[in-house]
Amino acid sequence: MTILGFCEWLQSLPWASGVKESSWQFPVIETIHSLGLAVMLWPAALLDMRLLGIVMKKRPVSEVASQFLPWVWTGFVMMISTGVILFSSEAVKCYNSPFFRTKLVLLVLAGANALLFHTTVFRDVVAWDKSPRTPLRAKVAGACSLAIWIGVVAMGRALAYA
Amino acid sequence: MLSASFQPFFDWCGRTWLGTAVRDTVWAFPLIETFHLLALAILLGSVLIVNLRVFGLGRRYYSSAAVLARQLEPWMLVSIGVLIATGIPMFLSEPMKCYESYSFPIKMMLILIGIASQFTIQRRWVMAGETDTSAGKAKLAACVSILIWTGVGLAGKGIPYV
Repeated sequence: MTILGFCEWLQSLPWASGVKESSWQFPVIETIHSLGLAVMLWPAALLDMRLLGIVMKKRPVSEVASQFLPWVWTGFVMMISTGVILFSSEAVKCYNSPFFRTKLVLLVLAGANALLFHTTVFRDVVAWDKSPRTPLRAKVAGACSLAIWIGVVAMGRALAYA
Repeated sequence: MLSASFQPFFDWCGRTWLGTAVRDTVWAFPLIETFHLLALAILLGSVLIVNLRVFGLGRRYYSSAAVLARQLEPWMLVSIGVLIATGIPMFLSEPMKCYESYSFPIKMMLILIGIASQFTIQRRWVMAGETDTSAGKAKLAACVSILIWTGVGLAGKGIPYV
């Protein structure tokens, strides 16, 4: 089955087409998707900005991370679960949209960036935990994360109007 | 919902230079909305982080909600500024849609209540003091803040629909 074929099959499923046909389901799910953004994005941005040395400079990085990562995961689950439903209801439109494709690429990059950060520089966090100045690699990870997530939001909005 | 006496004003808004410019530029609305949504994530994220601390979430990391509130309030005020600055051109580009909807006047009312409550009960009952002295009042202010600002987001989402 081709990817396009899969998308056609997916959006023809009764629950997926039901979301599109209903007058209220799509906006309600999209609203939860947007609320997930507040739960996920701002705590993630605060951690990124701690890595960049902009906020909460006096607090250990590991503490800021353990405070905010549960928020990020909660919001992420909200966004992925509602995002999958929204995608399913208009899979072919998304497949054809350059904005959706870019959004997917950015999401993969965001994941890779976070994974790389946690498996490398964050492992030695004890060495620079309490310092307001973080290693360059941590700063780069924070800056990339911020830029990527802003891009994800922009692609999401562009997708809605294209 | 809005009385007919508002109609000439809303009509005029749609004919302003800014309203026409946003309407006639293909990518302007989604671009402005991206910043509107990012600012909403900052505001709503901060509101949740601070006010859920009033109910005890994250007490391991902060001795009181007041400390957290003082740290995040500047971001909240800046995000409210960005929300208004991006909201105005979006409103000017389609004022008649706002005029016809129930959500728009409700949203405007909630914004006024939200800003007023931030400078009164939030500052007095949540942000003042080092410890949660008057827990009951702080919880009331926290509930008001969460409900009002979430309501602003929901009403905003509702403008194109109801």
